[in-house]
Amino acid sequence: MIRRRLAVSALVISFVAAALAQRRSLSVNDYPFDDNAPLVTPPDANEKTEWAFARLQYPSLQSNNRAWMARGHWTIDYPKADRQFASGVRRLTRLHVRSVEQVVNLESDDIFNWPWIYAVESGHWDLPDAQCAKLREYLLRGGFLMTDDFHGTYEWDVMMASMSRVFPDRPVVDIPNNDQIFHVLYDLDDRFQVPGTVNYPFNKTYEYDGYEAEWKGIYDNKGRLMVAICHNMDLGDAWEHADSPYYPEKFTGLAYRIGINYIMYAMSH
Amino acid sequence: MFEFFFKYPSTVYSKGKLVLLSGWPEWLLILLTVAAIAALSLVMWRSKPVWNNLRSAILTALQAAVVCLLLLMLWQPALSVSALKPQQNIVAVVVDNSSSMKRNDSDGTRLDAARKILDSALLKDLEKRFQVRLYSIDQGLHRIAKTDALTGNATVSKLGDGLKQLTAESSGLPVGAVLLLSDGADSAGGIDRQTITDIRSQRIPVHTIGFGKEQLTKDLEIRNVDVPIRALSDARLSAAVRFRNRGYAGQKSRIEIKDGAKTLAAKDVTLAKDGEEQTESLMFSAGLAGARRLAVSLKLMDGEENQSNNSMSRFVVVEGRKPRILYIEGEPRWEFKFIRRGVEDDRSIQLVSMLRVTQNKILRQGASSPKELENGFPLTPEELFQYDGLIIGSVDSGYFSLTQQEMIKQFADRRGGGVLFLGGRASLSDGGYDKTGLIDMLPVALPGAKGTFERELAIPIVTPSGKESMILRLVEDPDKNLERWKTMPKLADYQAVGRAKPGAVVLAEMSTPKGVFPLLAIQNYGRGRVGVFATSGSWRWQMTQPKEDMTHEMFWQQLLRWLSSATQGQVIASTPNPLLSDDGKLPIRVEVREKNYLAVADADVTARILGPQSVAAQIKLAPDPVTPGVYTAQWNAPVAGDYVAEIEATRNGQKVGADSLLFRREDGVTENFYSEQNKELLEKLSEETGGRYWKPDMAGKIPTEITFSEAGITTRETYDLWNMPIFFLMLLAFRATEWLLRRKWGAV
Repeated sequence: MIRRRLAVSALVISFVAAALAQRRSLSVNDYPFDDNAPLVTPPDANEKTEWAFARLQYPSLQSNNRAWMARGHWTIDYPKADRQFASGVRRLTRLHVRSVEQVVNLESDDIFNWPWIYAVESGHWDLPDAQCAKLREYLLRGGFLMTDDFHGTYEWDVMMASMSRVFPDRPVVDIPNNDQIFHVLYDLDDRFQVPGTVNYPFNKTYEYDGYEAEWKGIYDNKGRLMVAICHNMDLGDAWEHADSPYYPEKFTGLAYRIGINYIMYAMSH
Repeated sequence: MFEFFFKYPSTVYSKGKLVLLSGWPEWLLILLTVAAIAALSLVMWRSKPVWNNLRSAILTALQAAVVCLLLLMLWQPALSVSALKPQQNIVAVVVDNSSSMKRNDSDGTRLDAARKILDSALLKDLEKRFQVRLYSIDQGLHRIAKTDALTGNATVSKLGDGLKQLTAESSGLPVGAVLLLSDGADSAGGIDRQTITDIRSQRIPVHTIGFGKEQLTKDLEIRNVDVPIRALSDARLSAAVRFRNRGYAGQKSRIEIKDGAKTLAAKDVTLAKDGEEQTESLMFSAGLAGARRLAVSLKLMDGEENQSNNSMSRFVVVEGRKPRILYIEGEPRWEFKFIRRGVEDDRSIQLVSMLRVTQNKILRQGASSPKELENGFPLTPEELFQYDGLIIGSVDSGYFSLTQQEMIKQFADRRGGGVLFLGGRASLSDGGYDKTGLIDMLPVALPGAKGTFERELAIPIVTPSGKESMILRLVEDPDKNLERWKTMPKLADYQAVGRAKPGAVVLAEMSTPKGVFPLLAIQNYGRGRVGVFATSGSWRWQMTQPKEDMTHEMFWQQLLRWLSSATQGQVIASTPNPLLSDDGKLPIRVEVREKNYLAVADADVTARILGPQSVAAQIKLAPDPVTPGVYTAQWNAPVAGDYVAEIEATRNGQKVGADSLLFRREDGVTENFYSEQNKELLEKLSEETGGRYWKPDMAGKIPTEITFSEAGITTRETYDLWNMPIFFLMLLAFRATEWLLRRKWGAV
């Protein structure tokens, strides 16, 4: 009996160790969380370029959703949305774009090499104080943060719980229509809510109580946006499902235009 | 001693011509000399002496020397010298009457010493032989009756102008010589070559007597302060202060630059070796637009013999204009964003940018109006030349038409603007610039192949030339600045370019995985400037350093100021030195150009001048006969103070442009400097005119020596040489030597 228990224990330990070893051997671009497609590394994945889709890896708030807790909310839509959007940026602009994304975090100083970062589901992040301080430093040096895919009052409050520690002294404000970020490339006066795929099959473009899309931001002392907050919308899904016949083109088109404008703004202001 | 052996003063020998008075032919002297040497040699050889050949040769040489010397004396050598006829020539005695002659060196002033020499005997001795005219010299030359008229109150001494006046006034008079008594301090900074040539053409020797200590024992003196004449507001300026000390080597002093009561910069310095000139650089902000009179001073040391030479003033005109720089970028890049952010706080630069976001979209930023650049990169010189600087980013050369490429060249060459090429994947060789005419204007050679742009980290390295450059000055102290650069973050990428062209300066290099390449190279091109910054990765200096760090901003602001601050408008007024020292002469030069910066040869150019004590004048400038588009005039500022000249150019009644000139006249300042006797100037003046430099204690010999001159009314005098003591002493020495040698070698 004891032998059997020891054998089972050894087997379990070996399995866990092997799994961890495999996890460690994966590169930062090879997180096995492909939402909708098998992970295929493009041949030019290692090309050194001016810009790459830098996805922010952050710690999630404790919640009942154990699956997402384990995987991390930062991985949602990853990496298909990143790569599909990057290919659009490459095709539509003169920007030198890498085909694959770059995962960055606020624990390493490497983030300062990526002046544009994207945080998905920031309604679930929980940044420690040290990471809040680093994000503030990053933004004040000239970095740019785009947040997306969080909905309703609760997730807003969660996002703000960390953001208010990043910038205790700076308000989050509505971005006016005449701000350059909506005109730097495409004129985006007429914007609408871009839905995720969760509720859209049920003819709903909103989630929870997030009925209206909100285009908010945080400005620096010289009137430049440092943080662009896309609340009550899911641009990531629109990028990710741009190749789906079931996802309307008008949402994808706007999502691409919004994303490209935000990048062009970040690279020119 | 010289006269004891040679019978006459050395001047007779230096000015005289050797002649033989016997009347016998010179060839006979040579023949007899040769024959005598041959005969003596033959006799010595036939006698088969018991000594060796060397001893025979020595004795023969001694005997031959005696025979030769006797033969020479028989031919009666003499010197023929041109000498002034007694009482028929004028000797001009010129005394420096400037305030520097009132300096008390040890036993009375320099002027007292000059007076004493003249009044005690020199004037009387000269009057015995010549007609003596006494002059004082300061701003000009003045005839005086007695030395009592010398006051030493003049604030200026222009030795060159005074001597030129003397030669002009005495061109019809028999002036045999000029005797100048001075300390050599000259307000004009020396005597020009033309003045010396004029004096020499009249063959008038200028003898000089130098007064004043040749070397002070305790003194600290500013020699020069070099600052830009014009600057943009808020510009960081560097003042190079040159000074020397006597008697304070190794001690500490302090340099201060003040604008009125406000201290702009200060620096503690350790004084160099005694008498050695040293130069220290101080940096300061030009501040807001307006005229600045900077007072640069060295701390007064204990026991200084001259306390008036520790400060000097300079004039800087801080311009209120805001140069406009056009930055064209061919693709979105982080460098673009961070350059824009780096210079946005610079009140003196307006950056107008055009970014090719997509194939069909150009993002314009910083434009003055919606019309500006609405058609893309300028198509005409007039449109492009409205900018002062041009930055070309990652833009393929093919984006520019051939006409536009030529315009870019002319932007630097003719317009006088600055062009900066940045590295990038469509820049320089990778952008095909090596195949265009633009390659001529680049300060570096370009590799003839693509693939020179690499996204690999590169380490910036400041070169020795860059150490002194204002562009790379992040910290005031040059050594600390170098240390600062060693800690700068790596560049995100680099572009390999070739070596710097002759005349170009590499201010910084970069160490890369493929070797060391120029990072920042600059050169002048035509009337303008061109630079290459072979990277697009300086944005890491901003993103990887604390937000409080301003090095990225400083670098780009300084680089773009270099690029654009020297770019001038259509009308450029200038004068060689806006600080007129003891002299009101103001040469004005104005260049007038069209909007395309071609010269305007038919403009009407006027200058309206306002000065102190209600001085007002309006003058019309005349076209330069040699250079089209250049107009010149000379005006005299009558009194000391600040002046402003408003210059306007019109053509057919239409205004072409305007410029202003600020200048200041200062009197009585330069005399305080170079307080040691300028012996070099006095010696040079004497030597080049055939005169001689004298120390005051040798002045008694001047009346005799001054006689030998070829100027004025002269006669040729002959001085016998055959009976010089040296000849007889030599005869005696030769014979005595021969006797002593024979005795030693056993032949007597």
